[in-house]
Amino acid sequence: MDGWVGKLLRVNLTKGSVTSEDLPVGLTRLFLGGRGLASRILYNEVDAMVDPLSPENKIIFMTGPLTGTGVIGGASFVVVTKSPLSGSIACSPAEGYFGPELKYAGFDGIVIEGKAAGPVYLSIEDNEVALLSASHLWGKSTRRTEELIRSEKSNLWIARETSVASIGPAGERLAKVASIINDKHRVAARSGVGAVMGSKNLKAIAVRGTRTVMVADGTAFADAVARSWEKFKSTPVIPQTLNNVGTPFLVDVINESGVLPVRNFQTGVMKEVGKISGEHMGETILRANRGCFACPIACIQMTAVADPPFQGEGEGPEYRTIAVIGAACGIADIAAVAKISYLCDEMGIDTLSFGSAVACAMELTERRIISKKQTGMNLTFGNAGAVIELIEKVANREGFGDLLAEGGYHLASSYGHPEFFIGVKREGAPPFDPRGIQGLGLEYATSSSGVSHALGYLVTHKLLGIRGEIDPLTTEGKAPLVKQFQDGSTVFDAAGLCRLLLLGVWIDDLIPLLETATGNRYSEADLLTLGERVWNLERLFNLKAGFTGADDTLPRRMLEEPMPEGPARGQVCKLQEMLQEYYAIRGWNDRGIPTEAKLSSLGLAW
Amino acid sequence: MKRLKIDFKQCCGCRRCEVACSLNHFENSINPKKSRIRVMEEGGIFYPVVAGPFNNAECTSKNILLIEGKDVDECIICRASCPIKPWFKEPDTGVLLKCDFCGDPPDPACVKWCPCQAITLVDEEGRIVVKVEDVKKDYQRGKKG
Repeated sequence: MDGWVGKLLRVNLTKGSVTSEDLPVGLTRLFLGGRGLASRILYNEVDAMVDPLSPENKIIFMTGPLTGTGVIGGASFVVVTKSPLSGSIACSPAEGYFGPELKYAGFDGIVIEGKAAGPVYLSIEDNEVALLSASHLWGKSTRRTEELIRSEKSNLWIARETSVASIGPAGERLAKVASIINDKHRVAARSGVGAVMGSKNLKAIAVRGTRTVMVADGTAFADAVARSWEKFKSTPVIPQTLNNVGTPFLVDVINESGVLPVRNFQTGVMKEVGKISGEHMGETILRANRGCFACPIACIQMTAVADPPFQGEGEGPEYRTIAVIGAACGIADIAAVAKISYLCDEMGIDTLSFGSAVACAMELTERRIISKKQTGMNLTFGNAGAVIELIEKVANREGFGDLLAEGGYHLASSYGHPEFFIGVKREGAPPFDPRGIQGLGLEYATSSSGVSHALGYLVTHKLLGIRGEIDPLTTEGKAPLVKQFQDGSTVFDAAGLCRLLLLGVWIDDLIPLLETATGNRYSEADLLTLGERVWNLERLFNLKAGFTGADDTLPRRMLEEPMPEGPARGQVCKLQEMLQEYYAIRGWNDRGIPTEAKLSSLGLAW
Repeated sequence: MKRLKIDFKQCCGCRRCEVACSLNHFENSINPKKSRIRVMEEGGIFYPVVAGPFNNAECTSKNILLIEGKDVDECIICRASCPIKPWFKEPDTGVLLKCDFCGDPPDPACVKWCPCQAITLVDEEGRIVVKVEDVKKDYQRGKKG
């Protein structure tokens, strides 16, 4: 096969067995790969009612046909499982070198099932796949785990080319805010996927491959890649900003649009934004940029903080972390935000789920719903020291950290105030306030994968002036736009491409790359239908898992409390004006259930 | 004679050069482990290493270097396509790989694919003769060096 490498690795941790099986070629036509194929496998093999942390749940790592081919942004893989945080299907993409190495080892994906008796890690070196004891790695940070696994390799070159995806102490202790970290700072962050690995006693996956990924027409492929780079460079965002300060350039843009999640989304603009902006970051902690595999956009910021108390070095923080730690928790200090980001990566904690839970706890403290006695610390907005202390407490599940590890929804509900948790389907919302971007509210409410950040890219339309002007404050025409964007962005996840490409390009730009790599023909309509198929399948999984149309909603703050200041002043998110139109366009009934006709047109059935 | 000039300060570690090299030497194939250029990393700094010529005679005059107080066998930092080393070999066949500048006249694919101008083709005096990607270089490299 061209593009794909044609094999899936199946690991049964209960039996301790590893088997290689053929990639279902027929399914790649319908689901492409990545998120599409992994969702299809999960849907078919896992009972949607299963306890996410039980051995019956499976966790799937899947690349797409463009992963590791050298296409710009082609460094992505997804982690798909049933989320312990939201209870819905989880799809958490990550970049770096892990996905490409997995393909060079000869596998398009890994399906992991069961539960190991004791801590293990999976070692993949081409054909040599083994489950090894991870007793010596258990309890270690993700950074240390990578170093220890690399140090076991026979020579320096092999060690450096081995990519490790691991969980930290948070995942081991089943914290529902736990992430999976690969290549030290690349993160499959959302939906608590790290806890699923922890529940299976799987500490890490180490992979290095020496095999070849074939493309259908090498010369045409090289041309297509070169042409796509010219195209990307001509977009307004990619060359000037992404490859300068990276995603933090968004901090200023989002603040100017009045949709920054300041103090747990209490307002949309931040006075001290200059202390956490991309520009400020570039002047203070940025050392250099780096790229993921074969990606010249190089949007990763390698950073270092020299002075106490926040000294450290690593990569990031990215926009989302800055927005949720800096704005939502009110910590207007880029050095503190960077330190929190480094520590979260080491402990294997998703900064977004963690940060939104902390912001919620801070608001509960501010409103005197919880006291210093209950939290054991002075948890006021802006207290960076307390947040750093909490990272450790969440990872070790001590004191208040034990409650926080269950996520913001659980925290707020246990004090009787779920309305102060800003999220959808029990998962913390991405750091853009939908009161100032109406379509985004619809996108959050109807997201199939909890409300993972992966699905928040509708901001690109208006805010960045890409793909034409759209008035973000009206609800008119937003339903079809959201549907199109959800379907299209799913194609990126399925092809193995980084979502950040959506800041500049659309699926018509992918067609030459997909065609020259795989040798198949694709049209924009084909690909949108493919995305729609995946979207409907994920919807079916969630309906089977017990979700209903009533879960397609937003926190009360978004629906009822007008934005107090800024460009979106006076606005609430008028979700109901858009929701029924959205259902109708999707071919779903008024309760959000896909109709028979829609499903059969997509080749799906209940 | 043309040579490849590597400016490691410019390298962003993306390893596009490895993709370019394998695609240019093996039909329709992408395999960084068959590349004649490989990017190493140490402490957040990237070092592209090009497979160089091997000559038995050079090994007889090998030195032990003192680096940061440690004795280092020159063999470890040598980039020659050497039969006793595990790298710069085709992983499946063991055939040695050496940079051939992608033919005559030299037209290296890695230079064309490199987005950050870390690799350039220069003549003997070190003057840059090929500069394919005219990307505005703004990676804030100054801070790194």
